[in-house]
Amino acid sequence: MTNPPANVSAAASADAGRLSRARRELLVNLVVREMKARYRGSVLGFLWTLLTPLFMAVIYVFFLRVLAGRGVPMEEILIGVFAWQFTVQSIHSGVNCVTGNANLVKKIFFPRSILPVSATLANLVGYALTLVVQLVLVAVLLHVHGRALSPWAVALPAVIALHTVFNLGLAMTLGAANAYFRDTQHIVNVATSAWFFVSPVMYNLDLLASFAAGRPWVMDLYLLNPLAVIITAYRALQLPGAAFPWTAWSAAGLAWPLAFAGLAAWFYRRAQRNFADVL
Amino acid sequence: MNAIEAQGLGKSYQARGYAPPTLFGAAMRRLRRQETPRFWALRGVDFEIPAGRTVGVIGPNGSGKSSLLGLAAGTITPTEGAVRTRGRISSLLELGAGFHPDLTGRENVFLNAAILGLPRDDVRRRFDAIVDFAGLREFIDMPVKHYSSGMYVRLGFAVAVEMDPDVLLIDEVLAVGDIAFQLKCLQRIREFQQKGKTLLFVSHALQTVEEFCDEAFLIHRGRLVERGPPADVIFRYIRRYMGEGGHLFTQEFGSREAEIADVKFLDAHGREATSFESGRPMHVDIRYRAARRIEKPVFGFALKTGNGFYLHGSNTQLAGWPLDAIEGEGVVRLTFDPMILLQGNFFLSLSIHSWDHAVQFHRREDWYPFSVRNPTGAPGLIHLPVRWERRPAG
Repeated sequence: MTNPPANVSAAASADAGRLSRARRELLVNLVVREMKARYRGSVLGFLWTLLTPLFMAVIYVFFLRVLAGRGVPMEEILIGVFAWQFTVQSIHSGVNCVTGNANLVKKIFFPRSILPVSATLANLVGYALTLVVQLVLVAVLLHVHGRALSPWAVALPAVIALHTVFNLGLAMTLGAANAYFRDTQHIVNVATSAWFFVSPVMYNLDLLASFAAGRPWVMDLYLLNPLAVIITAYRALQLPGAAFPWTAWSAAGLAWPLAFAGLAAWFYRRAQRNFADVL
Repeated sequence: MNAIEAQGLGKSYQARGYAPPTLFGAAMRRLRRQETPRFWALRGVDFEIPAGRTVGVIGPNGSGKSSLLGLAAGTITPTEGAVRTRGRISSLLELGAGFHPDLTGRENVFLNAAILGLPRDDVRRRFDAIVDFAGLREFIDMPVKHYSSGMYVRLGFAVAVEMDPDVLLIDEVLAVGDIAFQLKCLQRIREFQQKGKTLLFVSHALQTVEEFCDEAFLIHRGRLVERGPPADVIFRYIRRYMGEGGHLFTQEFGSREAEIADVKFLDAHGREATSFESGRPMHVDIRYRAARRIEKPVFGFALKTGNGFYLHGSNTQLAGWPLDAIEGEGVVRLTFDPMILLQGNFFLSLSIHSWDHAVQFHRREDWYPFSVRNPTGAPGLIHLPVRWERRPAG
């Protein structure tokens, strides 16, 4: 992000190379700070980021079996829960990325875009680490049933990249909004709970398809939810025999997070000018 | 070549309540069609600061000094006009901003340096210098949440000055830490000046401004009302604005049959001055003008500290130096010898009244500011003549 137009720093243009390196270092430092601060002072540390989705997955499988009488395979739920966790954590740190650093924003000039970016990257690093465990668990579960991880799993980074861009868009939008309206975080909590149920975390598209039979528009609309297509894409790449439901709607669901992130960046850039006034 | 330039610089804020802004509140205001009033923290400010100059910004609380620094630092976006800076800027607006309480001092040094834009290799090279300057070697691997506030600020200052900026912005942060650390900070500021760096600093410590700055800006109600040599600007600041909204209200009243026409403050050498050395004489020449012959007038004075604390008052009647009569113009000299006030800013009130105190001819309340310097460095407000001696035991 550039300086605000009114504050033209000659040095900024003179040694832009040196400055961008400094910004990269700042980004790395903030990501490290976020991760260190998150895991320090808790006995299990990083293990918690693994245990939380694992417990969630077990609970969902159990209750779906008991209550609904039908279940979704454990490996599908694992994939859904770990991916969901990445977005939820990005939202949580994103909402607070500006207000939580009020001191910094008010007193020191630095590119403000670093705040949501570092918050999202810290979560990406955490997700990448848990993903290794998730892949092993899914592979083991598949092996028990005499199957193996799909070779398409090598394409996972593409989905992760899209997922990260989407989460970054959320972090920028919510972080900026929360700076101006402090009740954003409460609204976000409610919205997140609702979002959980309209995303295929503890169920899959097959389950929804039986419900949507005869009402095709339900599925079309459903696929506009970026998390629906992203989680489904994760499953399609890891599980043998699962296919991504290519339709115009699902393609739109994959594409529009990119447009959303671009819009979010524009919104954030405009909003950041007055951060110091509202914090 | 100017290091900082401002043109038509202005910043306005929405005057809001104390609670943090909420969407709910905004919606309610929209429903009730309430306009949120805006107020200008700073407006129409033009100046240019040549590279290598040290400028002190003074003014009453809430006059817009900190906004000016925030605008120069780029943390605040101007509402109108523009401010341009050349070179690397470091701001000591808040020391230790961005420290994370759970991280150790060492980790925070690297983090804070990164926030300030200092490359990691440079920090590694200068790490020992930073830690030694802060004097925190044995605590550097401890989480900063266990630091005292002084330690916190010391580490923040050490990192900020290590950045070696071209322009340094300082907001009232030199009044931190113990005296030893303050001296170290001031020493570092002098080194900056010697290296030809530009400094812009806000301070209520007028003495410091007078001592360090090449120029002073006086800001009042968001306007740059005065700029010039520090001593002059400070003097006019005290004279004009110190009373306003504070403890002091300069006022003037009386029948004016006899009036105080002109007052001169003179030092031991008979030179006009506004600042006096403790322990040396101070003369106040009061030129009066009497419209008619006045029998047995009384000249009086009162002394207050800058905070409005009444120190002493007396007059020619109490002093046993009665005047028989005055008519036309003349001069009465009031001498403080030695000046036993030690240091600080003071206000002198002068009056001419009748022998029986029934008629106030002319009184100027808290009208004349002056300051006293203390060459010895002894603490306190006044010098009391004391004596020490040995006495036989029992």
